[in-house]
Amino acid sequence: MILSFGEYWIIVSDLISGIRTIRENWDETMTEMYLLGTKAIPLVLLGGLFTGVILAIETGHQLKIFGATSLISRTVSLGMVRELGPVVTGLLLAARTGAKNSSEIGAMKLSDQIDALTAFGFNPVHKLILPRTAAAIIMFLPLTLIADITGILGGMLIANQTFQIETALFWDTAINALKVRDLFVGFAKPFFFAFFISTISCYFGLRTTGGTSGLGKNTINAVVYSSIVILVIDFIFTKIVWEVL
Amino acid sequence: MGSIIAMVELKNISLSIRDKVILKDFSFRIEKNKTTVIVGPSGAGKSSILRIIAGLWRPDSGEIIFNGENVFRMTEKGYNAMRKKIGIVFQSNALFDSLTVNENILYFLPERKSLTDRELLGISERLLSFVNMEGTGYLYPEELSGGMKKRIAIARALAFKPKLILFDEPTTGLDPLNSEAIIELIEKLKNKGTTSVVVSHILNDVMELGEQILFINNGRIVETGTIDKIVTSEDPLVNRFFYQLNRHNQIIEPGYKKYELINA
Repeated sequence: MILSFGEYWIIVSDLISGIRTIRENWDETMTEMYLLGTKAIPLVLLGGLFTGVILAIETGHQLKIFGATSLISRTVSLGMVRELGPVVTGLLLAARTGAKNSSEIGAMKLSDQIDALTAFGFNPVHKLILPRTAAAIIMFLPLTLIADITGILGGMLIANQTFQIETALFWDTAINALKVRDLFVGFAKPFFFAFFISTISCYFGLRTTGGTSGLGKNTINAVVYSSIVILVIDFIFTKIVWEVL
Repeated sequence: MGSIIAMVELKNISLSIRDKVILKDFSFRIEKNKTTVIVGPSGAGKSSILRIIAGLWRPDSGEIIFNGENVFRMTEKGYNAMRKKIGIVFQSNALFDSLTVNENILYFLPERKSLTDRELLGISERLLSFVNMEGTGYLYPEELSGGMKKRIAIARALAFKPKLILFDEPTTGLDPLNSEAIIELIEKLKNKGTTSVVVSHILNDVMELGEQILFINNGRIVETGTIDKIVTSEDPLVNRFFYQLNRHNQIIEPGYKKYELINA
């Protein structure tokens, strides 16, 4: 099944029109914040740490040729905060959250649970998608921050152990390299990523047909589409930042 | 017929899905305080009628009058309010597997947020007692048998005191003892004057529950009336259908023109 923009827009407009119902569904939102956010911390910690480590190793060896290893900290902090932190977190969460949303809602669809909600007078978009989207929007920024910080710490470890750069100097340079524009870019992306990962994966869940094989296909589609959208949004952001701002 | 009060009236309903005609110019009245059984071969459109009444599917044309109100002229709010007057028991039960039995029963209760935990527990226990499932409130659906799940689905449908209850194949896939328990529950509701619509192709269900029977095929009504009228129908399809259903059970006397329940 491919994504139909018409059907996707219907769900998104329904979601936006039901924003006020978030208070009624706050318990579900809190549960989702725990499942999508808190439980994803170990994954994001590891993802961020290894991204920072690899970035420091790769750039360190190149910079060493020019005797500019002191620039590792700047490269790692800017790379993590502006690009790799949000994107790696986004891709990890696209897989984790996308698969969770799509398979859960898809299984509910196949077992008539979505129809039960509708038949008993509840809007499935407000009851299921809104809490998941709100939870993702709230939790993705802190998760991205965790990835950024662990990435920079990982880079600092490599810079210190492999390239003999003092940790205090590394940290000082890394923090001073970051400007408001960098923070804005890095911290705005997670909101967009959260919105699209959540709505796309829930859309595929709601459109599940064809039994277990259909559920499998839609889960794959949810992860693939979410991941592609993250890369496209990242490209748009980067282009705007370098050419407009 | 016009003088009998109708709970739901379907007027000239037509429905097609991917060019396949499901219902064609279908009109029928579901009478108040009666149990209507919809019977017919697989793919006849039985469950589609339930889904249309429950507001899950919108027909291509026609009108639905619920308690004297045309549902298609209702606002979204009014339509949702109407849905809360209808309870539905799905063939698959549609219980939420991540919630306990108590949570499943209370999930759709409109006043859920304004009641104390003690009051909510009281409601759940009363409903569980009605369906003979006392003490199962803290179990999860995966810990229940098929018959138990069906009874919980009935308890959930009764939670907000609906005016109309829809049962989609309530005994399909259940053993005879569990089937009997479900039939007894529906009969209990019938004796309390609840309006029910039961979709079934199980002869025993039709015989025991049907006050008003509707035999449909290819989205059209073939025969309608009491059980006497249906089993003595001259229509060859109805005749053959009941003959085949009765072949092993012998609920209806050989010759199937007259019937009598065994041990009745």
